[in-house]
Amino acid sequence: MIDKIFFNFTRFSALLILVIVAWIFVVLFNHSLEAMHTFGLDFITQDEWAPNLGKFGAKAAIIGSVISTLLAMILAVPVAMGVAIFLSEIAHDKIKSFFGLSVELLAAIPSVIYGMWGLFYFVPIIRDTFGGMGIGLLAAGIVLAIMILPFMAAVTRDAMNTTPDILKESAYALGGTQWDVIKDVIIPYAKAGIIGSLILALGRAIGETMAVTFVMGNVHKVPGSILDPTTSIPVTLANEFTEADSSLYFSSLFGLALTLLVMSFVVIAIAKFYFLRKARRA
Amino acid sequence: MASIINIKEECALQVRDFEFTYKGATAPSLKKITMPIAKNSITALIGPSGCGKTTLLRAFNRMHDLYPGNVYNGEIEFEGRNILTPKEDLIQLRTKIGMIFQKPTAFPMSIFDNVAYGLRLQGMKNKTELNDRVEKALKDAAIWKEVNDRLKQDANGLSGGQQQRLCIARAIAVEPEVLLFDEPTSALDPISTQGIEKLVIELKERVSIIIVTHNMQQAARVSDYTGFMYLGELIELGNTEDLFVTPKEKLTQEYITGKFG
Amino acid sequence: MTAVQKRILINKIALSFSTLSAIIALAFLFWILGVLVMKGMSALNWNIFIYEGAPPGYEQSGLKHALVGQLILVGLATGIGVPLGILAGTYLSEYGKNSKLAHTIRDISDIMMSAPSIVIGAFVYAVIVMPMGHFSAWAGAIALAIIMIPIILRTTDDMLQLVPGTLREAAFALGAPKYKVIKDVVYRGAKAGILTGVLLGIARVGGETAPLLFTSFNDNFFTTDLNSAMPSLTVTIFNYAISPYEDWQQLGWAAAFILSMFILGLNILGRVILFAGKRK
Repeated sequence: MIDKIFFNFTRFSALLILVIVAWIFVVLFNHSLEAMHTFGLDFITQDEWAPNLGKFGAKAAIIGSVISTLLAMILAVPVAMGVAIFLSEIAHDKIKSFFGLSVELLAAIPSVIYGMWGLFYFVPIIRDTFGGMGIGLLAAGIVLAIMILPFMAAVTRDAMNTTPDILKESAYALGGTQWDVIKDVIIPYAKAGIIGSLILALGRAIGETMAVTFVMGNVHKVPGSILDPTTSIPVTLANEFTEADSSLYFSSLFGLALTLLVMSFVVIAIAKFYFLRKARRA
Repeated sequence: MASIINIKEECALQVRDFEFTYKGATAPSLKKITMPIAKNSITALIGPSGCGKTTLLRAFNRMHDLYPGNVYNGEIEFEGRNILTPKEDLIQLRTKIGMIFQKPTAFPMSIFDNVAYGLRLQGMKNKTELNDRVEKALKDAAIWKEVNDRLKQDANGLSGGQQQRLCIARAIAVEPEVLLFDEPTSALDPISTQGIEKLVIELKERVSIIIVTHNMQQAARVSDYTGFMYLGELIELGNTEDLFVTPKEKLTQEYITGKFG
Repeated sequence: MTAVQKRILINKIALSFSTLSAIIALAFLFWILGVLVMKGMSALNWNIFIYEGAPPGYEQSGLKHALVGQLILVGLATGIGVPLGILAGTYLSEYGKNSKLAHTIRDISDIMMSAPSIVIGAFVYAVIVMPMGHFSAWAGAIALAIIMIPIILRTTDDMLQLVPGTLREAAFALGAPKYKVIKDVVYRGAKAGILTGVLLGIARVGGETAPLLFTSFNDNFFTTDLNSAMPSLTVTIFNYAISPYEDWQQLGWAAAFILSMFILGLNILGRVILFAGKRK
């Protein structure tokens, strides 16, 4: 009897996840309907976002999201790969533990703190070097890059560590250097896992809010240059949700949330099902 | 003390008072080993698990150096010098002393690229030269007929026995002096094992071979000289026939007759 | 230069670049921690724990409200999320195992772990804040719980699976019913791992700001009323840091320092427990 009750409790809890996820999509969809009916596809293609005029075009937010994330990836991927290689092939013993722990700690720092640090310490540097306000796409891209760096390094290192030792030793036995082994054996072997990890990090970066809110500027304009203040979907949501005063405004924000959810869901799912599955089979 | 015969032929390698301690270990895993390795012959190393035969094998190509903290003591002489010194150029050494592992280790690339790998590492770029050397290696490894029509295909499509022969082709493509085999057939079925054993015997014309095996019968079938190791020491080294029929040491006899495994 | 010499040079360059990357990452860690410690500690004083928030310029302002509020929100979220997460993980490891349903749940849960937390805030806004008509600690806690569950589910699932099957079989062979086997043998065997998962889950949601922005919102004053907006350390940091007032910014740094120390401490504690558990 108790067995059955316990079993049902566990099954209920497990199924709850599926229910919640589905529910999230349904709720967001329903609340976006008004905006979708009012604007149609214009919602995505128009960049005029003027709440007092009742106009909500998300193009600036979407482009801001995409470009800041791409910028972050360009900056973070080489460094993350370097750190992953360092952790999996170069460092030994105490150095490895020390650096490994440092990467984990970096990953644990709350994003609001990255944002704060970025605002007070990085933005002035950008302002002094490039002029302008300092706040904008570049600042957001850099802070975002630093934020996803630890996660990216950790999962890429894990992917590289799946390479069997004797495969590496075979390459050394032919007179290969460490770099030869890394580029000819480890990276091809762990290719699926590495790419999957990078895409997974991309999926996370798209949804990042707090690190970016401090330094992006919250200006609904498609950025003309990398120094321009702009906005992204999460930044818009963070700054405007509590200011929305009409049902159309709310509906548009929910539309943004839905767009963001779909975007990150798709990217993460691709990483998981295509690349990381392959890696597990290998 | 150990019974080690004098080898009349030329030696490819000479081990002298070689001692090896793993990182952090309180006692050495190999205790003052002295043995000759005859040229163009097959020397087998046998002994129970943990006797140190693989540890000794991996010292010949300084494979232990991949894991810092291990300590070499004594000498291993090759080409007139001690290859255990810190000055030794490991990359060069490994092109002269090659290794085949317990499981087939085909790289994630095409069959051709696998065999050409060592050659490319040495800087060979000329397509004709590469083609010739790859073909020769595959023929010498008795696998050319099976793969010559699919050289560009991924090596992982080959069977276990084929992959191991591919690894042998890869190792002999760089024309080494010595080949080290670490239990090369332990992951293979009996038919593939036969094929590899036949190949190893053919190869001794060109290279000196040291083979570690936990299968006594394999040592008896294949090798010219056999060394029996126990608990990190070389107990006896002799002509294979003599050692198996009339071993000089009691321990050797007990191992051979199955008194311990 | 021979081909071999070239390779050796390229190797040196590549390894140097890789080491440089690691040093860069380390440099950022030290930069951020250094800033936190410097600015945070200089802003720390007893006032912080005595006084609640106040308009800028007031002498007697502190973080009491935010600290307590954070504890309430995280505590509530833990109370909701941990049992559900552990139970769900138990289902996956002990009942669902390799079934299609179990794999689907694991996959969806994995995806949720990387999904944007602000979207969850929007969801909770729609299903709780809107019907209630106002912000509340409940809404914030539930948002955090939703984020927590996949993490706890995953670690529980993984840790339980590590318990050897033979242990379970031995218990069954003695005639124990399944729930007892799980309770007395499996949970006990995976104790350290599950605890670590819980600590890491708490550390993760404890640092979240976005999902609270429009669920528990914020409040400058001390309150323990779960039905009203609840101050939190994270949102307070956001509000204070982005304000133009120096004394608020100071408080922001102090809050950031306290928050980071707490979260890093939880992380380290979690790993120490796991390490100690493994040693046995």
